[in-house]
Amino acid sequence: MMDVLIVLEDNNGKIHRMGLESIAAGQRFSNEMGLTAGALVLGGNADGLADQASAYQLGEVLKVNDALLESYSADGYSEAVKQIIDQENPTYVLFGHTYQVRDYVPRLSAKMNKPFLVDNIAIRVENGQPIFTKQMFNAKLSADVEANSSGPFLVSFQSAAFSMDAVAAGSASIRESTVQLDIAMIRTKSEPPFQEEAGGVDLTSADVIVSIGRGIGKEENIPLAVELSKALGGELAASRPVVDSGWLPSAHQIGSSGQSVSPKLYLALGISGAIQHVVGMKGSKNIVTINKDPDAPIFEISDYGVVGDILEIIPKLTEAIQALKN
Amino acid sequence: MKIAVLVKQVPGADSPLPIQSNQNWVDEGAVAFIMNESDNYALEEALQIRESMGEGEVVAVSLGPDRIQKVIREALAKGADRAIHIQMDTEGVIDPLVTASLFAQALKEENFDLIFTGLQSDDLGMGQTGIILGEMLGMATASLAMATELGDGKIKVKRELEAGWFQWVSLTLPASVSIQSGLNTPRYPSLKGIMGAKRKELKVVTPNAIDATQSLEKVYLPKSEKQTVMIEGSADQIVEKLVETFRNEIKVL
Amino acid sequence: MSEREVLDLDVLFVGAGPASLAGAIHLKRLLSKSGTEASVAVLEKASEIGAHSLSGAIVDPRALRELFPDFPDTDLPFEAEVSEEHLYYLTENKKIPFPFVPPSMSHHHCFVTSLGKLTRWLGNKCENEGVDIFCGFAGTKLLYEGEQVVGVRTGDRGIDKNGEKKPQFEPGADIRAKVVILGEGTRGSLTKNLIDRHELMQGCNPQVWAVGVKELWQMPSGTVPPGYVAHTMGFPLGQAIFGGAFLYGMQNDIWDLGLVVGLDYQNPGVDSHHELQRLKNHPWIRSLLSAGKMIAYGAKSLPEGGWYSIPKLSVGGAMLIGDSAGFMNGQRLKGIHLAMKSGMLAAETTAEALATGKFSESDLADYDSRIASSWIRDELWKVRNFHQGFDRGLFGGLANAGIGLFTGGRGWGIKNRLSSEAGHKKMQKGVKKNRYQDLQFDGTYLFDKVTDVYYSATAHEEDQMPHLKIRDQDVCVSKCTEEYGNPCEKFCPANVYEMLPDGDGQRLQINFSNCVHCKTCDIMDPYQIIDWVPPEGGDGPVWVNL
Repeated sequence: MMDVLIVLEDNNGKIHRMGLESIAAGQRFSNEMGLTAGALVLGGNADGLADQASAYQLGEVLKVNDALLESYSADGYSEAVKQIIDQENPTYVLFGHTYQVRDYVPRLSAKMNKPFLVDNIAIRVENGQPIFTKQMFNAKLSADVEANSSGPFLVSFQSAAFSMDAVAAGSASIRESTVQLDIAMIRTKSEPPFQEEAGGVDLTSADVIVSIGRGIGKEENIPLAVELSKALGGELAASRPVVDSGWLPSAHQIGSSGQSVSPKLYLALGISGAIQHVVGMKGSKNIVTINKDPDAPIFEISDYGVVGDILEIIPKLTEAIQALKN
Repeated sequence: MKIAVLVKQVPGADSPLPIQSNQNWVDEGAVAFIMNESDNYALEEALQIRESMGEGEVVAVSLGPDRIQKVIREALAKGADRAIHIQMDTEGVIDPLVTASLFAQALKEENFDLIFTGLQSDDLGMGQTGIILGEMLGMATASLAMATELGDGKIKVKRELEAGWFQWVSLTLPASVSIQSGLNTPRYPSLKGIMGAKRKELKVVTPNAIDATQSLEKVYLPKSEKQTVMIEGSADQIVEKLVETFRNEIKVL
Repeated sequence: MSEREVLDLDVLFVGAGPASLAGAIHLKRLLSKSGTEASVAVLEKASEIGAHSLSGAIVDPRALRELFPDFPDTDLPFEAEVSEEHLYYLTENKKIPFPFVPPSMSHHHCFVTSLGKLTRWLGNKCENEGVDIFCGFAGTKLLYEGEQVVGVRTGDRGIDKNGEKKPQFEPGADIRAKVVILGEGTRGSLTKNLIDRHELMQGCNPQVWAVGVKELWQMPSGTVPPGYVAHTMGFPLGQAIFGGAFLYGMQNDIWDLGLVVGLDYQNPGVDSHHELQRLKNHPWIRSLLSAGKMIAYGAKSLPEGGWYSIPKLSVGGAMLIGDSAGFMNGQRLKGIHLAMKSGMLAAETTAEALATGKFSESDLADYDSRIASSWIRDELWKVRNFHQGFDRGLFGGLANAGIGLFTGGRGWGIKNRLSSEAGHKKMQKGVKKNRYQDLQFDGTYLFDKVTDVYYSATAHEEDQMPHLKIRDQDVCVSKCTEEYGNPCEKFCPANVYEMLPDGDGQRLQINFSNCVHCKTCDIMDPYQIIDWVPPEGGDGPVWVNL
């Protein structure tokens, strides 16, 4: 019996990071609301996932093994999760806002005729009721959303809105449950996933972005930033003047005429913070700025600021990070 | 082959977004509207399918007040054969169960083989309407299509996954697919297309109201309670503190 | 799709501004009355009507009332009737009211208006009359048979920044029309070509322009009286630079603040954007605006030369209307009603031409006659020497204007026609005083140019060749730097031109994506080597209510 059911996803045999983030969210939320929380793992063989999930502070872990869930399908997963919800009757069902969740949870919402409150960056409780905050207009505005029906409520969280490091460890019992799936109702056939050479540069799904502005000085200095981004495991991006000067292709551009991002870490190097740039990155979870101009407007929206020479700091920073890894 | 393409009119990327004083929504009088970006790609994909099959009908469908006629006519100018305008005031309507139900009301009898939608709207960003509509109309669904292939009464869709991964999924028809931006090159409307749009059928329907299961309480500028922590010292000291911050505070190392 | 589309029409208006839209409406009605079938279309480079429309504005309703005689004022798309009007002389800190407002400068019974709103309204009426409006298509070339204009070619779409064709490349369309009416607005690009090819300015004073820069400010509820009008002279421009400020109260508590700067100043360092920020430093302006939020920015040039700068208005197959022709009353600071009337007169000529099937130069010269016997001429004749008086500075200009009131517009009371020189020729070489030494941009009340540009919502397809053609960039990095200190960086209100260090020297960077289509560079460049041509259709500002 659980009031809050957290649905976890398989990522190559491990719990998807965003699932861990939703456990963090779920634990905090259920504490605040005085509710019990549990997790659901499902698949062809979810035993391994169940074991991993049991290491966290949860009421219990529910495990569903079914051959028809071996391969992901929107029909199969939405039906399976629906049946579990019918069985367990949670009030809140939490998910990380993954590509898979985007693919099947709307079907689940329609089957149940219950709202899917998506891609939340925060939840707060007011008068005993949750208020869900999501971004709108490509993160230019925030919106508070409320549920108007009775539960269960389907809720997903944006990547890095909650930190998986905030997950409380514990020991949860594992209970197995079953669903009734019929192969005839699965109307899709998936082939194995594959990786492709990134044609464009998709900065929107990067967790770490190292971004350079005019302060980089000249094209010859760019490899310094490339090395740093590799050391941090992030993507390289740039403000408009760098692209206009032809030093990087426009696929790396962030801002009103480029991409909009909100990564976990946005490291702004030699970027002044013109509004055209800021609108593309101010939703970032952590903004760290290094700029030699103490009056650069970008400091106003930064979480951490360094007034300094990026050409001096970048190579030292890269070295220190590489040393850490070794 | 009957393809419905759902198109939405949304504020343009550079449009001002002044918030109403009651914070219920933005002041639409000051907004510059355009067709939702991914819907444009969805429309193009449908037009290309009709062209490659040499037969079929592409129907543009949109939900909203009078001002949306502009994107409907844009869709007709680009080559949609006819259009349906589900007329209602959509201010404050954010529930995809509601919008999908309204589309279902209008489209049910038509028995489309395919429904294409953009993956999400650039204003609300709920990303659900097409999939929910698929469920309501008994169709197979797939999201974030980066390529489509039709054949043998099925549609194959290249789904975008995390971090540069993809997956081909084969769906039985009828199917509702949400389309990711960038999978094709949307055409410009021709002058003749623009002139011809006026003569194409534009059916206006008024739907029955549906209760919402989620609603918008208020919109506001993202809070910036930033207390910038300045990191000082020599270059080496700064680097040390940065590494510590990345590791312990931001947790990316 | 790689074949050039060809469209055959009867009448094509270029530019969906008030002149063309009023003209198209009037033409359709005339044709309907005479039972003539004719296809009428309007070409507009912006993605939608109104997106490139910018003015103050105070509209004299005369032309609108002629076009829509049965509409009460409340049905016309105005913000508000002028409720109070003020004329001030500003010093840096003081505001001195003029003792009286001369009747010819009065805005009584006129209406504060947003040109964007007005053109959208006219556009709707136009479509209702069966006119096709093609938005997102730029007219880039006139089509000729001999010396007869037979149509317009639109710009190619899908050419990358190296001049190569992209996969979605589409050649421009050829729109063939019996009559082409150019209502491109200020310093139209096809207009420029037409005037040059047919020497239409022969015997005329050269055209002189000003640039208007403005910001819209959203104020707290109930604090802006709609219909409020104030004009100022003096600070910040001073005696030697033509121009002045305007402050209009719009609906929804919006202050519309702008500055008009004559593009015939001597100091090459003059920067109209910076002057607008200086204006905001005036305590009176600050007291009005500081509690609000800037929500939009824009700039546009305007023709100031007056009656004697208006070219011959017709050639075989084509006519000039609106600001493209130069119909602006500099003294009243009004041109929209003149633009609309000119469009309507061109429509009348066109209707007759369609009836006879003759579109030669002598047939269309009927338009020039109509203008000469219309109230456009009556009005502009009285102020025909207005701008020219300011060659003697602010007080000279005011004196000339004042005397003109009593002498039916004669220059200095005696001369029928004052001569004038093109504005860019007045720019003086050598370094001049820096007018902006003390100007500090704080980003919340005073904005740097780059920030203001963001609020013009301007965007261009990035992967295209710059639409600002400079015939000899060597001049920019050498001669111009020495002689004038690269005034392009200053006179462009949108930060399009930037001189950047390049090794030992410097290079010119053209941030064409910032362009707000004001045409100032084409007008003011002292060497006249900048040609503004339309970028890809649909590009440019996306103004909503400017």
